[in-house]
Amino acid sequence: MTTTREPAASVRTLTLHVIHILLALADGDRHGYAIKQAVERQTEGAIRLGPGTLYEAIQRLEQAGLIQEVDASRRGGDRVPRRFYRLTPKGWSTLKSEIARLERTVGLAHSKPRLKKA
Amino acid sequence: MALDFSARACYRRLLRLYPAAFHQTYAQELEETFADQRQEARYRGWIGAVVLWTEILTDLARSAVRLRLVRITGGRGGARPPRQRRQRNLVDNMLHDLRYSIRLLSRQPGFAAIAVLSLALGLGGTTVIFGLVDGLVLKPFSLPDADSLVTIEVDFPKLHARDNPFIEVVSPAEYADLRTLRSLTKTSAFDLGNRHISGGDRPERLFTALVFSDLFQTAGVSPLLGRGFTTDELGANGPMVAIVSHRIWTSRFAADPALVGRAIRINGVPTTVVGVMPPELLILGTDLWLPLRAAPSEWPRNARQFTVLARLAPGSSLDAANAELAVLAKRTAAAYGKEFAEYGGWRLTAVPWAVALTRSLQPTAYLLLGAIGLVLLIICVNIANLQAARASTRHREIAVRIALGAGHWRVARQLLIESLLIAGAGAVLGFAVARVGLRASIALLPAQIIALEPRIELSGRVLVVGIVASLVAGVFVGVLPSLRGRRTDAFDALKSEGRHTAGPVALRLRFGLIVAEISLATILLVGAGLLVRTMTALSRVDPGVNTQHVLTMRLTLPFEKYRGRAAIIAFFDALVERLGGLSGVRSAAAASQFPPSIVFSGGLRFEGRPNPAGGTLAQADTTLASPGLFQTLGIPLRAGRSFTLDDDAQSPRVAVVNEAFVRRFYQGQSPLGSRVALGTDAASPWIEIVGVVADTRGQGLIQPSREEIYFPVGQMDGDWNQLFLLIRTDGDPLTMLPAVRREIMAVDRDQPAYAIQTLEQAFATGIFTQRTLTTLLGIFASLALLLAAIGIYAIMSYAVAARTREIGIRIALGAQRQSVVRMVVGQVIRLVIAGAAIGLTGALAVGRLIASVLVGTQPTDPRALLSVSFLLATVALVAAYLPARRASRIDPVITLRGE
Repeated sequence: MTTTREPAASVRTLTLHVIHILLALADGDRHGYAIKQAVERQTEGAIRLGPGTLYEAIQRLEQAGLIQEVDASRRGGDRVPRRFYRLTPKGWSTLKSEIARLERTVGLAHSKPRLKKA
Repeated sequence: MALDFSARACYRRLLRLYPAAFHQTYAQELEETFADQRQEARYRGWIGAVVLWTEILTDLARSAVRLRLVRITGGRGGARPPRQRRQRNLVDNMLHDLRYSIRLLSRQPGFAAIAVLSLALGLGGTTVIFGLVDGLVLKPFSLPDADSLVTIEVDFPKLHARDNPFIEVVSPAEYADLRTLRSLTKTSAFDLGNRHISGGDRPERLFTALVFSDLFQTAGVSPLLGRGFTTDELGANGPMVAIVSHRIWTSRFAADPALVGRAIRINGVPTTVVGVMPPELLILGTDLWLPLRAAPSEWPRNARQFTVLARLAPGSSLDAANAELAVLAKRTAAAYGKEFAEYGGWRLTAVPWAVALTRSLQPTAYLLLGAIGLVLLIICVNIANLQAARASTRHREIAVRIALGAGHWRVARQLLIESLLIAGAGAVLGFAVARVGLRASIALLPAQIIALEPRIELSGRVLVVGIVASLVAGVFVGVLPSLRGRRTDAFDALKSEGRHTAGPVALRLRFGLIVAEISLATILLVGAGLLVRTMTALSRVDPGVNTQHVLTMRLTLPFEKYRGRAAIIAFFDALVERLGGLSGVRSAAAASQFPPSIVFSGGLRFEGRPNPAGGTLAQADTTLASPGLFQTLGIPLRAGRSFTLDDDAQSPRVAVVNEAFVRRFYQGQSPLGSRVALGTDAASPWIEIVGVVADTRGQGLIQPSREEIYFPVGQMDGDWNQLFLLIRTDGDPLTMLPAVRREIMAVDRDQPAYAIQTLEQAFATGIFTQRTLTTLLGIFASLALLLAAIGIYAIMSYAVAARTREIGIRIALGAQRQSVVRMVVGQVIRLVIAGAAIGLTGALAVGRLIASVLVGTQPTDPRALLSVSFLLATVALVAAYLPARRASRIDPVITLRGE
């Protein structure tokens, strides 16, 4: 089990990649490749994470305490034991506040006369 | 376990590029994810595999760099399990060493600066020299399969006593014979000339090849546009067609893609362009190819002015070709020897085209390479010395590291990385130096070489050489300190507090390095010294002409406009008279050649003397001269008279000879009144010698004067449509150029003048090699001397510091300060003697390489050797002065107290 640390300032505003990873995990526990597929589906192919980029992000999220590894023994049936990840409570709250922030930004945008939603 | 080359295994290996901790945590997952990704439909098949690997490698590179960057900047990137031992792999270690080396070097900016700068100079210089050599000598042009491209040289021993094979001497009939050989294929021949091109914004004179057959075939390249000449066009009375070079196509026709099929004016005659040469093709710098429009049989057998280019037939070799050529020579001599006496004993040789072009440059080129190599070596030795000094002061630090468990290998590797770092920085800076240097060198090349358009550039080969040199330098510089680092006994080093000296072994090693430096510097100094003496000797040579204030240029009158010699003579007579009348002009003349480029010569018969046995005619340089030539060039008249305008086609034939001619053929007796005739033709007219002039250095300052005979322009044999103008001016000759051009245009407004230079420039070009070598070797030698001085200073300081205790004790025991100084100086003298002895021996061997360019001195010149030794000793003593002074000032009280 890796020890968790206080997040660096860089995690307070999440990049788009990271948001999508968290969103993918919002549907349930996933392993790395499943996260990758989910992100691709969610963004309709716009964001394609290579394995390196993916796990780099996973590492940062783990360190920041937003996700954690699930005890593999709970998931039976796989031929090869894979690492599954799930959102921590902190991850949930961060994701929610991030979504809220984005909503506020979108709302502000639509309040501008030239950007009104059609 | 067999090596698994499956995709997965490859990916697994690549994963080692990640930082160790990241790798430990996630490698398995990465591999699984990769395997899953591979199964996706988009990555099926060959194309899919390519796409997959592209994406994977990009992703890997980016994330690996990001992860490592975070670690280097000390960020919190590493998923570092604090209780687990930090694992490091090879890449981690090397990066750590690199960071460490950077920190170390930045703490000693002085050393780093000297090391990097001197390496940059050495590496940059090496790259420049190699670039020049590569462009000019090793690979002078980029025609395909250059080794099989040959030219045919001929030697007619009967025609000239001088052994002077040159390429431009085959006749059309001989060319036709060469085409029958089996070992040669795609044989072509061409004459060189010049044509005026108009039909653009301005008329221009183009160097032209008049070809018998398609040169594209022989060169092995396809035209960029259009095609080569067809058989019809090459044959008699074919249409007027031309092929232009790539550079003319871009400079004159703005790379017009529709040029093929258009008409241009060549010597005033409309000519259709049928092809454009590709950029890399340039045969002897010719910008224009015209078909000869005649069959070889239309020329007399001895009209020799053609250059032959051919390819070795597949499967054939140079030896095979030469064997066939020998047979051909014999056959021709047998068949035509009676009619053409010169065929007796004549020789045909096939020579690779590249060799023929660059023969004269090769010795100089290799010499320069050797010299700069020596300089680079000296620089490396110097840095190694400095490094060794640093290493010894880091003695304790290294010892501590070893005590803490670092393997000796580890320590050595760190020192090596440090040296490679310096070498790398030096290489990067050296690259900039090389670019500037290369451009500067190209600007210094003489015009004839530039016309051949050699590709002197930082090509792949040149860069590779530069990089290899850097690596070698880095390793060399790192090896010696590494050797020291490895042998450090940790325990010993920790024991000796504050004594940062090493044993006698290290000191001897460093003395050895200094001796090496001194000997290398000696070699360069001797070379430079010999060349300086050469330049001095050359400056004392009397060229036989007054080189000041003479403007020269060349005019070629187009046949189409000036038919026959009468028209030519009329043109030049009128022009010379006009020029002579200009204010600011003392005198003017026309001539077929002038010193230092006297090349045309001929065979002579003397009236009243039997023809020499074996048909070998007497040879002399034959020059056409207008009446004012001797006055314009400042050649004194020794006897008889010079030419006048009355010596024209209607008057009796006259000639003027030089003193060498008189010495050789008249044994010093007056030749006035005797008669000579040109060539072997019994019908050629007898010519009376009416004057004798002083000798000139016709082949430049180095060669002795040759026998020369002058004929009046008005009595020229054949139609010499190409003559030089020589104008002696009151002031700077080049300021008269516009006025001269106006006078030329007044006589014929379409007539360009070219090859414009002053007589001084002409002579300077002749000794270009000597001048360049002297300058470069002078620079190298000075650099080497400076480096050796620095090295001596450094090591003597070090030696004094190393023996501070000993010296202190000696002084305390009553030794005089002077004896201490003598000790230091004595050490230096011994070093210099050792170095100079080795160096002088080496210099004698190397001197033989430059013997061919030396004038007035030989490699064993004692004066040069002595002055070099003296210079070395002086510089060494100056370098040793400060350390010696320091040694003498050692206060024994302080040294003994510090025990």
